[in-house]
Amino acid sequence: MRCEHFERQMWAYIEGQLPDAQAFEAHLRACPHCQRQLAAAQATYRTLHALPRHRAPANLSEQVRRRIAAAPARPRFDWARMWWRVALAPALGVLIAAVWWGWQTQQTAPSYGTATDDLTESLVELHEQLEVADWSPSPTPSYFISTGYTR
Amino acid sequence: MRLYADRLYNYILRMVGNATDAEDLVQETFLRAYQGLPQFDGRASLGTWLYRIATNLCIDHQRRRARRVQTVSYSEGEDEEGEPAAWDFPDQQTPNPLEAALNRELEAVVEDAIDKLSPKLKTVLLLYDVEELSYEEIARVLGIPIGTVKSRLNHARTQIQKAVAAYLDDALLSAQARGIK
Repeated sequence: MRCEHFERQMWAYIEGQLPDAQAFEAHLRACPHCQRQLAAAQATYRTLHALPRHRAPANLSEQVRRRIAAAPARPRFDWARMWWRVALAPALGVLIAAVWWGWQTQQTAPSYGTATDDLTESLVELHEQLEVADWSPSPTPSYFISTGYTR
Repeated sequence: MRLYADRLYNYILRMVGNATDAEDLVQETFLRAYQGLPQFDGRASLGTWLYRIATNLCIDHQRRRARRVQTVSYSEGEDEEGEPAAWDFPDQQTPNPLEAALNRELEAVVEDAIDKLSPKLKTVLLLYDVEELSYEEIARVLGIPIGTVKSRLNHARTQIQKAVAAYLDDALLSAQARGIK
C-alpha cells in the first residue's frame, strides 16, 4: 500500500468503517510518516466531535415568536386577479424573441453583404489588371542588372 | 423550539462566525420555515428542512458580506457582550490541567482551520462532524449526491488534519528543544 492510498482510507479506519484493515495496519506499522498523519487525523476527529456547543441566547425563542407574530402573512396566489398576467407571459416571451431575432438578422445581414461586395470588387479589379497586362516576355528587371546578377 | 434553536444557533454561529448575525439568522430561519409551512411536504424531517433553510441563509449572508472576516474569540470564554459564553461541554472524563491546556490549543487550531474552509466544505463538515447529521440527511439538506457529501467531508477533514499535523509537529519540536536545554 502506498501512502496516498493509506491517507484516502484514514477517515474510514478512524470511524471503524474500513472492512479489511489488514493492509492498512501493515502499512501503518512500517511507515513513520503515515503514523504521524494518523495521529493528527485522530486528534482532529476527537477535537471536532468534542467542540463546545454554543447555546442560543435565552430570549431567542421569544424574539422568534414576536417576529413571526409581526410578520405579514404571505399573500396567497389569487388566480382570479392574476390569470391575465399568467396568460400574457408566454406571449410577451414570444414577442421579445421575435424582436431579438429581427435585430440579430439586421445586424448580421449587412456585414455579409459588405464582405461579399468587397470580394467581388477585388476580383473584378484583378481580372481587369490581368486583361490589360503586357504578356510579352519582359526584359531582365533593373535590380538584377544593378546587382550584376543575371539568370 | 428550544432544541432546534440551540442546534441551529450552534451551526449558524460556526458558519458565520458572529453572534449577532447568528441570532438574526436563526430568527430568519424560523420565520421562513413558518411562512413556508404550506410548502413543507413532510418527506424530509423538520430538522433537515430547517438546516436547509439555515444553510441557504448562511450562504446568502456570506455572499453579501464576502471577504469581511469576523471571528468569535472562543479562547476567552466570553461572548461579544462580555458575558460568559454559554457552552455545553460534552460529557467526558475530566482531563488533567496539561491535557486540558493541550485540548484547548487543539480546539483553537481546529476552529481556525474550520473558519478557513470554503463554504461548501465547511457546511458538510459542520453538519456531519458537529451537528451529527447522517450522509443521507446532508445530501437532502444540500440537494447533492451522497458521494459528493463523502468527498467534501474527506477534503474538509484533510484540510483540518493538515493544520493539526503542523501544530503537533511544532509542539513536538519545541518540546524537544526544551528537553535539549
